[in-house]
Amino acid sequence: MRMLLRRLGVYAFTAWVTITVNFILPHLMPGDPIQQLIAKLTGRVTPEEIRAIKEQFGAGLDQPLYLQYLHYWGHLLQGQLGTSISLSAPVAQVLGSQIWWTIGLIGIAAVLSFVIGTFLGVVFGWTRGSRFDSVIPLATFLQSVPYYFLGTILIMAFAVHFHFFPLQNAYDQYLSPGFNTTYIWSLFRHSQLPILSIVLSSLAGWMLGMRNMMITTVAEDFVLMAVAKGLPRRRVIFHAARNAILPSVANFALAIGLLVSGSLLVEQIFNYPGVGNLLVQAVGNEDYPLLQGIFLLITFTVLGANFLADLLYYLLDPRTRTATAH
Amino acid sequence: MTEQTNILEVKDFSVNYGYGEASVRAVSDVSFTLGTSRVLGVAGESGSGKSTLVYGLTRLLRAPGVISSGDVILNIPGPDGVRSFDMLAATEEEIRSVRWTNISIVLQSALSALNPLRRIGREFDEVFRTHDKSLSKDDRKARAIELLAMVGLDANRLDRFPHELSGGQRQRVMIAMALALRPELVIMDEPTTALDVVTQREIVSELYELRKQLGFAMIFITHDLSLLVELADEIMVMYAGHIVERAVATELYNAPRHPYTLGLMNSFPPLHGQREVMTGIPGSPPDLKALPTGCTFSPRCPYAMDICREKVPPQLPLDNGTRLVACWLHEPSVGAAVPVELSKKFVSNAGGAQ
Amino acid sequence: MKSIQIPRSPKVLIGFGILLVFIVLTVIGPWVAPYNPSSSAFIPNLKPSWQHWLGTTTLGQDVMSQLLVGCRATMVVGFIAGFVATILSIVVGLAAGYVGGRTDEGLSLLSNVFLAIPGLPLLIVINSYLPSGEQANPLVVGLVIALTGWAWGARVLRAQTMSLRDRDFVEAARIIGESRSRIMFSEIGPNLLPILASSLLFTILYSVGVYTTLAFLGLTNVATWNWGTMLYWAQSNNAALANEWWWVGPPGIAIALVGTSLALINFGIDEFINPRLRAGGLSARRRRQLGVARRPRLGFTPVQRITTYPEISTIPVTSAEGIAQ
Repeated sequence: MRMLLRRLGVYAFTAWVTITVNFILPHLMPGDPIQQLIAKLTGRVTPEEIRAIKEQFGAGLDQPLYLQYLHYWGHLLQGQLGTSISLSAPVAQVLGSQIWWTIGLIGIAAVLSFVIGTFLGVVFGWTRGSRFDSVIPLATFLQSVPYYFLGTILIMAFAVHFHFFPLQNAYDQYLSPGFNTTYIWSLFRHSQLPILSIVLSSLAGWMLGMRNMMITTVAEDFVLMAVAKGLPRRRVIFHAARNAILPSVANFALAIGLLVSGSLLVEQIFNYPGVGNLLVQAVGNEDYPLLQGIFLLITFTVLGANFLADLLYYLLDPRTRTATAH
Repeated sequence: MTEQTNILEVKDFSVNYGYGEASVRAVSDVSFTLGTSRVLGVAGESGSGKSTLVYGLTRLLRAPGVISSGDVILNIPGPDGVRSFDMLAATEEEIRSVRWTNISIVLQSALSALNPLRRIGREFDEVFRTHDKSLSKDDRKARAIELLAMVGLDANRLDRFPHELSGGQRQRVMIAMALALRPELVIMDEPTTALDVVTQREIVSELYELRKQLGFAMIFITHDLSLLVELADEIMVMYAGHIVERAVATELYNAPRHPYTLGLMNSFPPLHGQREVMTGIPGSPPDLKALPTGCTFSPRCPYAMDICREKVPPQLPLDNGTRLVACWLHEPSVGAAVPVELSKKFVSNAGGAQ
Repeated sequence: MKSIQIPRSPKVLIGFGILLVFIVLTVIGPWVAPYNPSSSAFIPNLKPSWQHWLGTTTLGQDVMSQLLVGCRATMVVGFIAGFVATILSIVVGLAAGYVGGRTDEGLSLLSNVFLAIPGLPLLIVINSYLPSGEQANPLVVGLVIALTGWAWGARVLRAQTMSLRDRDFVEAARIIGESRSRIMFSEIGPNLLPILASSLLFTILYSVGVYTTLAFLGLTNVATWNWGTMLYWAQSNNAALANEWWWVGPPGIAIALVGTSLALINFGIDEFINPRLRAGGLSARRRRQLGVARRPRLGFTPVQRITTYPEISTIPVTSAEGIAQ
């Protein structure tokens, strides 16, 4: 239990750091990006909107920095993330409407790739020295391919060249969203290729890691014991795999950050709605309020996923539960 | 078991590590038989091939181990008489069927031999479930509790994880588990080495009692000869993959005839009795990749003669054939004077404590 | 000091080979490029030909030249960021692992924070605040990447340092009275090398990936060529929809190949660190050569009878003490 609380403390601290960094960055940057932005926007948007930006970033309010910081927190705690410049809508509202696309797409893809990759890692680790070893160079290559590049290639191959999959968007644009089979089928069809690109790009990482751990675990005495006990091979593999999976769960923190980062760009390639697509738009339009909101959202989601992974580890490994154990 | 049968017959058994020219011989032409309910002690330093031998016999030896010669026959008593089981010709599935039912094994480190993520009870349960489908869940639990009681452990240990038990408790769990299906042969691979001396002694005497009670045969591997004297009927001493001496336990301990056995005895204090100055054996076990010519022990042997460095000694039968010694000192045609400490008459101090 | 023997498996050799090619291209790329990569003087959308080995873009630029020129910025940023990040992780990891106590807690917290914050979004935010002059400077971008990429290495190094700290030889050095910094760099340091090498490879891999991603998003100066900017232009001109594989393919494959080469080298380091990963038995190929039918299976030691015994004693055994065998 202490371990979980400790992790929770780290995440709370990380959240605080993230928020503070978000606040302080525009103030630290050379050339005062906020002033430049205001200068650029003056005359193009209404004075209210300029005032809103000033309020959001504390620029030109002639307050000391710590007061601006408190101000910023006050806004945050009320759920106010400012107003998007390019979309002229509250950031919180924009994100709220788009996040579900991202959670749906990346969530499903992440789970699929973890499950399939881990399973393949178990099989390839157990059968080390067999013909299966020849998939390793391929997996290594696949692991190094940028997500957005693989997405592009898949589009070219399966949507442009062969018309197996729809090209873009989350559903056929002539449909109006609704709870009917045509719409759901369209959603399903459009999600296939993006999910496939994320799964293919991230699969190899899980697989190679799991294979290594499987090889290491199979060399343990308790696996030999399982064999000596005359257990069927299936059971022996299970004994090893159950233990080998722990480091994968422990390394989840690093992996989920990379996976989310990579997947965000896949949205853009497929013109799929969601946070990633918004991110690219925000970057292109220098929409700082939106950018900041997205950064907070992504970081908090990743922290949440990390805590879930810790929880899973805690449930999987009894040794973490005896807090007094060394 | 009216007639005296051999549970295990091993003939010219050899094990290599690796294939082709790059391979090394880790066990060379080992032959022995083990009678039903008898205890064979196998002693030697680490690297002597004693563990490789038993893992090879049970076919549990990991790659790159390869069995390169010999026969291993297991004589399994059954309702319709004794069945000969050829360990080296059997299929994987057939071997699986004799594992734990007829042969079980206890490893040196119980901590690493138990799955750290599983409760003790689940490990027992799995053994029963695999080999005896007729048992109900409650039966399996009752059997496990009964087994734990046999090694002096409380039933509540079933709910514990391995890291929650002490070293001695873990090893007792392993022993109880090894006896779960009442196998005819139990292999103990240095089961007490990782434990303190007091626990060592307790476990050895428990094993002695259990064996009397249940009548299983046992191969007990150790580098500590003094442990074997109380437990074993016969002792086999190995060096560089060869059997250098084999005799009835008390005879071997009281009057070692091979210089290596003598050295090994002097390396450990007797389990009971007074402590003496230990001399040990100078040097270290040979590199299997570059074995010396002749007797492999000759570079470390204080009695080595010219012939020892040139020719491999044959196994000489001594004491009316009850003892085998692979040493040129005892070959009459060589005409060496046998040193008094290696002669038949000599009785070592250590044996006196019996 | 033990010298490091990276196992020379084909994987490692191929990895080194590929990496060497790219390092050579980094040096000579801009000189051997056939044309000015920014010149749009050619016929657009040409497929690969003898004139243009990798064809031309929609803008009438030579893809081959872009690939060769872009290699330098990509590799230099990747390596600078990788090295700087590794230096950061050495300082943090070693200090945390060796000094322990409060220092350790503070530094570990710091690495945990950096580990939990997703690097790419943070980089995007930082980068979009950078004045466009700085965005063009690969050095600045490299340093920013390094800032987000050191935490993993620091964590691994800390763990290894802690386990080394209590080993005998370090204990001995402490008893002799060697200074703390000397112990750290001459006793512990060399033993960290394999892990260090592995973490360096990974940070370079990460940096190349992140840099090209930022460039792909148009967050570096799009007029300086690297493989990411090539993909940026391809994407903004809908090269994928036009099926211009010769434009989209080369930069992506180049990024993947650099990554693959680093990962292949890392296989060797992994095997060095963890001996269990070394091919204990035989590769399928070698097994075939020796006529071994099956892969050795756990719990089924193979029986491969050898019929000739070179060392059996041929001396006839005379009966000792009168009893024949």
